Amino acid sequence: MNVFEPRYELMSRAELEQLQLERLQALLARLKRHVRRYREKLAGCQVQSLADLARLPFTTPEEMADSFPYGLFACPMREIIRLHTSVGPEGRPLVIGHTRNDLTQWGRLVARQLVASGVTANDVLQVCFGGGAYGSAGYLFGAQTVEASVIAEDPTHVDYQVAMLQNYRPTVLVTTPAIALDLAQRIEQRRLDPQSLNLRTVLLSRPVDTPTREQIAAGLFARVQCNFGVSEILDPGLCVECEAGSFHIQEDHFLAEVHEGELVLTTLCREALPLLRYHTRVAAETVAGRCACGRTGLRLMPGRRLDGRWWVKDTPVYARQVEAVLSHSRAAGRPFTVTVSDRQLAVAIELSDDLFADTVWVIESLRREIEAEFLGRLGVVVEVRFVNPRVPTDPDVATTTARTAV
Amino acid sequence: MLLQVRNLRAGYGSLEVVHGVSLHVCRGEIVGLLGANGAGKTSLLKSLVGLLPPRQGEVLVDGRPTRGQPPWRSVSNGVVLVPEGKMIFPDLTVRENLLIGGYHNPDRLLQLDIVLERFPRLRERQQQLGGTLSGGEQQMLALGRALMARPRLLLLDEPSLGLAPMLVREVFAEIQRLRDLGLTVLLVEQNVAAPLQIADRAYVMETGEIIPEGEADQLRHNAQVQRAYLGSTAEEQSA
Repeated sequence: MNVFEPRYELMSRAELEQLQLERLQALLARLKRHVRRYREKLAGCQVQSLADLARLPFTTPEEMADSFPYGLFACPMREIIRLHTSVGPEGRPLVIGHTRNDLTQWGRLVARQLVASGVTANDVLQVCFGGGAYGSAGYLFGAQTVEASVIAEDPTHVDYQVAMLQNYRPTVLVTTPAIALDLAQRIEQRRLDPQSLNLRTVLLSRPVDTPTREQIAAGLFARVQCNFGVSEILDPGLCVECEAGSFHIQEDHFLAEVHEGELVLTTLCREALPLLRYHTRVAAETVAGRCACGRTGLRLMPGRRLDGRWWVKDTPVYARQVEAVLSHSRAAGRPFTVTVSDRQLAVAIELSDDLFADTVWVIESLRREIEAEFLGRLGVVVEVRFVNPRVPTDPDVATTTARTAV
Repeated sequence: MLLQVRNLRAGYGSLEVVHGVSLHVCRGEIVGLLGANGAGKTSLLKSLVGLLPPRQGEVLVDGRPTRGQPPWRSVSNGVVLVPEGKMIFPDLTVRENLLIGGYHNPDRLLQLDIVLERFPRLRERQQQLGGTLSGGEQQMLALGRALMARPRLLLLDEPSLGLAPMLVREVFAEIQRLRDLGLTVLLVEQNVAAPLQIADRAYVMETGEIIPEGEADQLRHNAQVQRAYLGSTAEEQSA
């Protein structure tokens, strides 16, 4: 069994609960002292046991977006040495600060996942996020903590990624599900033997379903492990997927609750951006009880997003963002349908008579214009099609509302 | 966990100085309890051994509740306090001072030998009056007196108080040696830098509450701790 910090990962529940209570009380004291928004919300709140957590106020992603950029920080800017960004409700920007200690802790939390996946100092890691998306930083810190060799190049081009797999012979590949599938497909297209690669483990940044997992495992001839994170809290580093395939929340650092089916998290140790009972907008279930791997942290079963966030090629996109882009285009106000897949967003816009033209290039240029607008503003490739207007059955739906098929 | 404290509240008269503190000490650890003057550290220690009866909360030693027990009972539980300012008996000899520490230990003469073995300086001065010892020697005497009770958990209140920096280092080295022998130590200090060198974990108290808690190494790099207690930031220190 591979455990990086047995003291915390295998801690008995009684000890863990004592530690959580201590950390929760210290968190409240810090929040009351250093964050104005919490000082107002927490007036008169006291925690005598972990059960009192249920009486504390929540934090919503909307509040976090409202206090953008630094409203919820508990440290002055000079103590913050790293800013990461994330996307909040309706695509509004969020910023997550880290102090030096936060980064050290992040490295240790990710190291726990890497060690659970069998990574040692003898391994060579390729971290592939197609141009350094949020999250790759965490894996770099983790690998550094484990002292594995990391290839610090993150090409966007799939052929170059395959070449790196062949040249540097990494034993562990850390990547997103989309890139892993691209790689597997490319290797097959080029008639390469995946067994000739030196890969032992593929660590995916997000959970995938079993068929995809098997497809990647077969395509890259390696064991596949997944991770789960919430970018506003910590991604990666929130939980560890053990050998038995369960996600264990790192409960010495995070308190997890499930509130009306939604995962609610409290950060216990964060210095720069401590969050109390943060609504993650992710459906989840938790299971208590001992796991075969010996870890005592709650087992988490993450579900779908509850706020209409789609993942398109590992970029988060909200329906409202699609609407906003279209409303600034020449096709503003036209009904449209969005089809989302893992790889692509397809928007079918119903054409009106005034937009319609006999010449192809007029329509074509409109299409290109809208596609370029999507790429520029959302950072994802969107396929735009024009369709004949439907006969309006329900006047409310037919005018401007997006019809979504996911 | 040797010592487990939950929501301890304590105070004097109408004044509450410890506002619901939770902490724990595992076997074989040195845990620091740090903070400025008046943070409530000494009151917390006193309420752990029953010198200051806690108003609320739980104190568990080895999982057994000890709240409300008289102070002498904590000694038989293996929890021994070395009070602030040494509090040795100046008019008794070193030997008598030590024997008092082992009053409830039937093997105190045997223990005396062990303690004198640890502190050769005390052996040399066995017949000298406690009040004539130097500050550092008095601190060693206070430590030795606590060891006479064969404690499992040693509560040290400001052992570095009033000592020259070189003697502080000596006292701390001694504490570290005691830990290596298997003793568990809760170390209360105003001075933050030195305890963080030897402690495994630490709690930082401010106005009766614990603000950060964590591994010593982590607290050394905590900017707020640095600003408030270490007097300078990391960059200034290295400059």
